[in-house]
Amino acid sequence: MNFKHKYLFLLPGLLVLIGILIFPVGFTVRLSMSSWDSFFPGLDYVGLENYFRIFQEDSRFWEAFGRLSFLSVTTVTLQYVLGFALALMVWKDIAFKRFFRVLFLIPMMTTPVIMTVIWKTFFHESLGPVNDFLNIFGWNPLWLSSEILSKITVIIVEVWQWTPFMFLLLLAGLLSLPKEPYLAASIDGAGPYRTFIYVTFPLMAPISIGAIIIRLIEASKIMDTVYVLTSGGPGTATETSSFYIFIKGLREFQFGYSAALSFTYLIIMIISLTIIAKVLVRLMIRDN
Amino acid sequence: MDLLAKELVYQPGSEFHLDSMSFGMKKGEIYTLLGRTLSGKTTLLKTIAGLIQPDSGRVLFEGKDLNSIPVWKRNIAMVYQQFINYPHLNVYDNVAFPLRQRAISDNELRLRVSDAIERVGLKDFESRRIQELSGGQQQRVALARSLAKQAEILLLDEPLVNLDYKLREQLREEFSKIFTSEYSSDSILIYSSTDPMEAMQLGGETIVLDEGRILQQGPASEIFENPATTRVAEITNDPAMNLLSGEIAGSKVIINSKMSFDIPIHFRNLASGQYTFGIRASDIALDKKGYPFNVELAEISGSETFLHAKNENVSLVGQLDLVKNFNVGEKVNLHLDSQKLYAFGLDKNLASSPFKELARG
Repeated sequence: MNFKHKYLFLLPGLLVLIGILIFPVGFTVRLSMSSWDSFFPGLDYVGLENYFRIFQEDSRFWEAFGRLSFLSVTTVTLQYVLGFALALMVWKDIAFKRFFRVLFLIPMMTTPVIMTVIWKTFFHESLGPVNDFLNIFGWNPLWLSSEILSKITVIIVEVWQWTPFMFLLLLAGLLSLPKEPYLAASIDGAGPYRTFIYVTFPLMAPISIGAIIIRLIEASKIMDTVYVLTSGGPGTATETSSFYIFIKGLREFQFGYSAALSFTYLIIMIISLTIIAKVLVRLMIRDN
Repeated sequence: MDLLAKELVYQPGSEFHLDSMSFGMKKGEIYTLLGRTLSGKTTLLKTIAGLIQPDSGRVLFEGKDLNSIPVWKRNIAMVYQQFINYPHLNVYDNVAFPLRQRAISDNELRLRVSDAIERVGLKDFESRRIQELSGGQQQRVALARSLAKQAEILLLDEPLVNLDYKLREQLREEFSKIFTSEYSSDSILIYSSTDPMEAMQLGGETIVLDEGRILQQGPASEIFENPATTRVAEITNDPAMNLLSGEIAGSKVIINSKMSFDIPIHFRNLASGQYTFGIRASDIALDKKGYPFNVELAEISGSETFLHAKNENVSLVGQLDLVKNFNVGEKVNLHLDSQKLYAFGLDKNLASSPFKELARG
């Protein structure tokens, strides 16, 4: 058999790669150097004009990016803490362990958009059951139309929806930990708290870093929750980068500019997630 | 007695792991738990450590009931069969781990850790990660950790069993040096093993265990020389002592009506009748004038050959000081040194041993 045939076998994979990754990215880059919009459609060439506009004129994009960073870091931190706590709970021998393991996974099995609609109804300021209950104490918080509370509402829904994912990854990690260091730790005088700090947490560091990075990547794309829950409002209080790009591209049809926004966003995310990963490794794996 | 066990019972299934076990131990002494697999050695160590709660009975240390003290609050160190360390820490941090759980000054911690690491010969390995060490080195780290803790009770559960032959020999020597010359006199050291050689080498007091019970307790040499029962004789010898049924008839010892010896001097006080006679493998030798046997198996080990031989219904194992290939079925003549015979009564208890009678004589 001719050795050159190996390229033939690589061809299907290569075609798929070109079709779904290389071409779209290449086309986005090219599109970002055009002024294609609903008035003047076409792939003209304007150089880096769109990028200058992002960095010099578009403060709304950077505000959205700041908001996204805040929401991502907050939700992922809460998901990590809660997910770890739940995983630790069902990792130990407790009653109805299997029941709880399935129960904690239910939010992840639901359709996010539908659940967000339910949450929106839940937090509805005049008709929702949350305010119905709080009215008993004379409170009527504006869950969806207050600048601060709307962010908290988005955080609550995101944490509820995605904590199970973190729980699942961390539980898998906990179940794969060796038993021996725990035997040693108990003999060496470490109580439950110290065993967690000095044994469980460091042993879980590689899995934790992986889980946090996966969730940060996912959280940084947050779109459907914001779209359904607040539509970025009130004003731009919950508008995130992806939602802003969606508005520019698919509501205002500024394709060229939204392509430049997308590409800028992609580069920033790659750089920031790389830095975050390195910082996490340094913080969590001490010996390295 | 500083450490007292009273009527310890642990029976997780149908079999007893600890069966009404009671004993006392003193500080500054080395105790070896000697027994076959499943004799209850590990269960006993784990019970002392607090890793197992006995079904009944108590463990008292200096008058305090240990049963009510959680494992991490007991001042105990333990080295396991498996090389148990902290995989995410380097050698230094592994050894320092138990000390960091206590309020100890940094200076003292550094001194104790460095001292323990030096004692086990890992001075140049402080910053190495555990995965970079060999099995023997990993076990040295575990030992250093237990030494650094300076616990009042140090438990060693067959620490050498998972090492290769050469390393086991080497570490066995090093361990006994560390324990006999350097270990604190304020501590109780309990070492479990299946190997009688280790018990002899460590010295101190030996406790022979079988099926969760203590069969005999005393100085290692005393137990080796005068095993209280046939079972102890089997456990404390490797290969196990050959046990042959026979009788004393007048001035003769007759084994299986095939072999006959003049009665040895240490049997002179024994009445005629049925006995189980014991003879160590090392007290059997090739001799043209000996009794004929057929070779069933010959195992060469180092400079010795373990010869499994049979004469009709008499089977025995001889430990010969030579390296020789024997063919299966080959005829050999074996001499059993009657002066080294043990006699056990029908109740399987020791009736006479060469050492006891020789001492009297």
